[in-house]
Amino acid sequence: MASPMVQDFTAPVLRNVDLGRGNWLLEFEARDVAVAMRPAQFFMIGAPGSDVLLRRPFSVCGLPGTFADGKEGAVQVLYRVLGRGTKLLASLSPGAPLHVLGPLGQGFEAPGGSGAKIVLIAGGIGCAPFPAFLAALERQGRRATMIYGARSADELPLLDWFRERCDAVVVTTDDGSLGARGLVTGPLKAMLGASARERLHLYACGPSPMLKAVAGMALASGVVCDLALEAPMACGFGVCLGCVVPTHAVPGGPVAYERVCVEGPVMRAERVAW
Amino acid sequence: MVTPDLSVAIGAVRLRNPVLTASGTFGYGLEFLPFLRLAQLGGIVTKGLSPRPRKGNPPDRIVETPAGMLNAIGLQNIGIDAFLEEKLPALREHDTAIVANVFGETEAEYVEVCEKLDAATGVAAIELNVSCPNTEAGGMLFGNDAASLARITRACRLRTQLPLWVKLSPNVTDIRELAKAAEAEGADAVSLVNTFVGMAIDVEKRRPVLANLSGGLSGPAIRPLAVWMTWQVSRAVSIPVVGMGGIMTARDALEFILAGATAVQVGTANFVNPRAAVDVAEGLARWLSERGVLSVRELVGALPPAPAAPGCP
Repeated sequence: MASPMVQDFTAPVLRNVDLGRGNWLLEFEARDVAVAMRPAQFFMIGAPGSDVLLRRPFSVCGLPGTFADGKEGAVQVLYRVLGRGTKLLASLSPGAPLHVLGPLGQGFEAPGGSGAKIVLIAGGIGCAPFPAFLAALERQGRRATMIYGARSADELPLLDWFRERCDAVVVTTDDGSLGARGLVTGPLKAMLGASARERLHLYACGPSPMLKAVAGMALASGVVCDLALEAPMACGFGVCLGCVVPTHAVPGGPVAYERVCVEGPVMRAERVAW
Repeated sequence: MVTPDLSVAIGAVRLRNPVLTASGTFGYGLEFLPFLRLAQLGGIVTKGLSPRPRKGNPPDRIVETPAGMLNAIGLQNIGIDAFLEEKLPALREHDTAIVANVFGETEAEYVEVCEKLDAATGVAAIELNVSCPNTEAGGMLFGNDAASLARITRACRLRTQLPLWVKLSPNVTDIRELAKAAEAEGADAVSLVNTFVGMAIDVEKRRPVLANLSGGLSGPAIRPLAVWMTWQVSRAVSIPVVGMGGIMTARDALEFILAGATAVQVGTANFVNPRAAVDVAEGLARWLSERGVLSVRELVGALPPAPAAPGCP
């Protein structure tokens, strides 16, 4: 069921910033819901009067206080122009109305206690939930290390921002145009090997093959790992059943389908039955 | 200005207004409580209920298409027992008609669910889903053939006192034959249409978008097809017709009502706007009021006489 504080509201675009190379940051006012919202929760966003039928899900990227230049009471979502929905979003100017539903889903929880070393693993536009999460961690006096991979240097939005906020950002690209050539699993393997005695907590967001690989490595090493999943969805509040992923209570146990929009998007790695 | 009378009757079922929500787009109703009061609706139709919980189809299950969407959920549901224990008690506290959509893989399964609903308190009617395009057994197999549909309708009719609606598939040569078969076996109403079978292909990956290969098309894309079928069926049977297919606004609902539907169901629009069905009901009231129409019942099928046989398009 949709959480009781979920709201369906109209908000004008405050800023829609072209970050270059197809990446955009959209800012709108969400005063009432921003207070209660947690990193990795998401909004369904649409534009009235367009011929795009369904709203699209977007992870909250910035909550009040995340970005120094963020407007008061405003939130930001990071998106990459890929299909009709994101093309429509990129065409909107300040003042254009957005139809927004949120906050939706389960967000990231910071690790309990203070011992665990926090490692964020992002694949391209999958970095979207991490700015708000880093800001939340910072308020608790905690920092994180990040592994940030993409196909090429073009697909690493907000990289400089992350470099300022993280203890370290290890970059990988498939084509070697920035950082180490290869996948995020390379540096992750090294980190898991080197940190044998250090408790880690991984948070991963990115394409499914990446999440699957990261989850497998985390489970093999006995490391706690939270995944922020993505799926096509029609409603975002639990009724269309379009966004399910196969899950199990125990590995090898009976498989059920759970909704990314309600039971997720954040799920423990061992819960997903890839 | 006079407040128009929106109430309608589908057989013995009296509805506050002619707007219900379509099965599979409204969960078990309670999910919408953050957005609306169920008493603002004529009624709700539940997700299809089967004798035992169903896991549904593997993902991907949905994709947006021009002015619509394809879905292949596979009737994932909690099963009739969990519905009766966990959902119905809370649902019947709300002053709205609760229509239970029923699905089975065999005739015996349809009957089993109908009997359990018959024994329950708070259910206004049963809607038989003989038209789901996304399951291997049951569903559309029964709804594609007048003889099978007649058999299922008869079997359920014998085992429940509840008003029985039969939801028709549009994936047939002549939907009127199916509607007549339902009427002949004692259905109290027919509802139409379920989704049209369709397919989308990811050309870059050279594979079907949906894991199920095909899915059911819904949304504004199918509205003219559904209006036409509503017109045809409402002239072929004397039982009430509940129309649906891509209704987003009150004007869309009026098309179905003028075509001959006594009530309508709002489906895909609930995904886009959780208050869509309430907006349609309020829009109807406004439309009637502005035009001085005293009752929505005056509009049911209120089109000028048609040519004897509409020609080829």
